[in-house]
Amino acid sequence: MKTKLFLLLFAMMFCALPMFAADGSASAAVNLAPLAAGLGMAIASGLCALGQGNAVKGAAEAMARNPGAAGAIRFALILGLVLIESLALYTFIIILIKS
Amino acid sequence: MVTHEAWLTQLFNEYLAGFGNMLLSLFHLTAENPKEPWADFVVMQIAVVAVIMLLLAVLRPSLSVRKPGTLQHLFELIHTFIAGQSDDQIGHDGKKHTTLFETLFIFLLLANLIGIIPMFVSPTQSPFVPCGCAIIAFLYYNYVGIRKQGLGHYLKHFMGPIPAMAPLMIPIEIISHIARPMSLTIRLFANMYAGEQVTLVFLSMTYLIAPAIFMGLHVFVSFLQAYIFVLLTMMYVAGAVAEEH
Repeated sequence: MKTKLFLLLFAMMFCALPMFAADGSASAAVNLAPLAAGLGMAIASGLCALGQGNAVKGAAEAMARNPGAAGAIRFALILGLVLIESLALYTFIIILIKS
Repeated sequence: MVTHEAWLTQLFNEYLAGFGNMLLSLFHLTAENPKEPWADFVVMQIAVVAVIMLLLAVLRPSLSVRKPGTLQHLFELIHTFIAGQSDDQIGHDGKKHTTLFETLFIFLLLANLIGIIPMFVSPTQSPFVPCGCAIIAFLYYNYVGIRKQGLGHYLKHFMGPIPAMAPLMIPIEIISHIARPMSLTIRLFANMYAGEQVTLVFLSMTYLIAPAIFMGLHVFVSFLQAYIFVLLTMMYVAGAVAEEH
């Protein structure tokens, strides 16, 4: 728990550093689009990875239990993976449009 | 975001600029730059179509039952695969729709793969080409559904199972149907574009091995995305022609 809090604090400080560094005169011209793009893509692909990992886990377990149904399970797996993946791609497209 | 045109596009712009402008003016359009009316994706599409026609022109005279050649085996493999998939999805009516699926599959596969060759750009990297294919798929499954079930019965699907829910269901169904071609477009375009960009980023860092790995991944993704596009089209067709009870 303590390590987690420390890491969180560290992350916040890390984010805050540029803020401290910027003085009043230059702050107007900061372009936040690359930062937002990177963070957005990171969040999207990280969460998609979680979802896809879950899907693959379920499919692998199901295939191990019932190898006879492997074909149908693989079909559902591929379909599910593609649909999950497209969510990250929507983020990618928004980044493309906005940056 | 291709910084400069492929050599084929340059050739087209040099020698066929007038023809391109004439084609555009038929539809009352003008090119952004009248000196260069041909975009990369149009020229590459023409290249892909030329490759497909060439392949089929080579294939057609060499077809034989007794002694099938390599190319015939390849195309029979594709046919068996797609026909089997559409049988699985649509049922015994699936054979009727296999033509469109196979056309889409071969076109998209070659369009994805042509980007691997240096000096070529894959047309699916621009959103317009996947969008065109997706619109064809959209029109096709609606047409097939209306043809099979009649307009009234087909539209009844939009109302959902309970008539009282219809005011709620109809907007939802319409939006979800419109989202289908959009998601098909974005999936294919973003995958192709992202794959190319990743290769480019690694290429800008090093010429050693690493970009080649991502190109290998890109080949895999090309196959997968062509398959997925066709598979989703099959599922939409299956949903449109499905008989209830």
